[in-house]
Amino acid sequence: MTTPAIQLSGVSKEFATSSGTTLALDHIDLEIPSGAFVSLLGPSGCGKSTLLRVIGDLIPPTAGTVAVAGMSAREARRTRQYGMAFQAPGLMDWRTVRRNIELPLQVQGVPRAERRARADEMLELVRLTAFADHRPRQLSGGMQQRVAIARALAMQPRVLLMDEPLGALDEMNREHMQRELLRIWRATGTTIVFVTHSVPEATFLSTEVVVMSPRPGRIAERIAIDLPFPRTDDTRVAPEFYAAESRVRSALHAVLDPYESVTS
Amino acid sequence: MTAHLVTRPRDASPSRTAATAPSRRRAAGAFAPLRSLAIAAALLVAAGLVWEGYKALGRAFGDVIPGLNVPFPIATTDAAMPHIAQIVSALASPASVAGGGTLLSYYLVETSVTLRESLYGMLIGAVIGALLAMLLREIPLLGKATLPWLIVSQTIPLVALAPIIVVWIGSAGLPSWIAVTVIAAYLSFFPVTLNTLTGLNAADPLHVEFLRSISASRWRVLVHVRIPTALPSFFTGLRLAATAAVIGAIVGELSAGTGAGIGRAILTAAYYYSLAPANLYAAILVASLAGIVFVQIIVLVEWLTLRKRSS
Repeated sequence: MTTPAIQLSGVSKEFATSSGTTLALDHIDLEIPSGAFVSLLGPSGCGKSTLLRVIGDLIPPTAGTVAVAGMSAREARRTRQYGMAFQAPGLMDWRTVRRNIELPLQVQGVPRAERRARADEMLELVRLTAFADHRPRQLSGGMQQRVAIARALAMQPRVLLMDEPLGALDEMNREHMQRELLRIWRATGTTIVFVTHSVPEATFLSTEVVVMSPRPGRIAERIAIDLPFPRTDDTRVAPEFYAAESRVRSALHAVLDPYESVTS
Repeated sequence: MTAHLVTRPRDASPSRTAATAPSRRRAAGAFAPLRSLAIAAALLVAAGLVWEGYKALGRAFGDVIPGLNVPFPIATTDAAMPHIAQIVSALASPASVAGGGTLLSYYLVETSVTLRESLYGMLIGAVIGALLAMLLREIPLLGKATLPWLIVSQTIPLVALAPIIVVWIGSAGLPSWIAVTVIAAYLSFFPVTLNTLTGLNAADPLHVEFLRSISASRWRVLVHVRIPTALPSFFTGLRLAATAAVIGAIVGELSAGTGAGIGRAILTAAYYYSLAPANLYAAILVASLAGIVFVQIIVLVEWLTLRKRSS
């Protein structure tokens, strides 16, 4: 935990809209230690997805700097430090599951044999070896999401950026995937930034929850979650979990104005 | 948050059911050449029945709608509408040209010449069309500037353009079938360009964003996302191109002064129409059936290429 994996200083993002400019992010300062699992939590419109995309250099900040492993975000993306997974798996139906996972390696110019070996390794990690030669659409939503995570991990990225990757799953699959994700995180040692709007999910997964407030997007509170690892289904019913979850929940409620907490 | 008091088995993913379903779906979505063929044959028979039925009605009422004193829109004399049997027997009768075979074999030989011109024209058109679509897509300014001119190029009447192409190719010292091929290519590239361009632009933003996140070049995005996305649209364009190529080749032959080709044979049959009306219909029948087979071959190639994708 020497140099932070991600360091944001004074990051702001303005969007031009029909009614002038909207401040999506307002002077965000955030330091994420290497190997951490940090969740960005907040109501819709708080800029958590925007913040994730700024970290990943998919959208440029209006002001401020982003440093990833001592590099600029641009440099980090150029040198392929990121793995990304989004709410929809976004797999390619013209490729088999294995070839989907190979895609980032192919772009990187990794030789065929090595590519295949690495993809098989990733398939094992997400426990989908038996489905290597299937087409994505032949898989269930949860399995597709695991393929997307395997694809994000294929280049062995230093930072994994995930935008509500489990949002579309049903409760059963979601909890299963949460356990899988923790297992993968612990196996790879990757730093994960995870966007979610679910309090229990953020609590269960994270080493730290960053609660954000909307309009403009700001960091409202940072809550360290010191539940021990490995976390299992027993963790979810432990009194310590309730305590941590309650802290996160009350922080979230504090950022919602009364109207919004009724309607959303 | 309610507590989950019931512990669930660790791997409770619904993987088994999800994985077995597609094999069934694939069978249902299989290419059914026999069924298509049966439908096509049924339609052909139906068209024959309508033809003969109309002709029989016309003969029975002297080409006048009874009670109205309004004439039939098309006369049903043997000169205007020969019986199907007459058309078929014309095909079986010996051709007047040298060689001694039947009219059918003569027309088939001529058609094969035309289809070869069409095929070459279509392939050239497909390659040019696809490359042009990629250029227009990757250089937006070029796209904006060029697309209106491409549309103009297709509004020039073919009958005006064909002789010009024939003269150009002829003065270059090339055989006239090349001129016909060029005309077929000229008609083919446009639907390919337009459809491929639509496909290239229809790439899933998620795919593009993922490739950006791993710092993939535009070339990589084109190869790994845009081209695979555009493939079905490309084939839609290719099907239209196949039709256009056959029409282009037939019309091209009329201007090209080639001694061969079904277009030329149609022109000859039209010239001697008053002597042997069935011959023209026979030629049209052979040309149409050949055109259908030609387009169906493209459909087959399309199916072979894309079958793995849509389960």
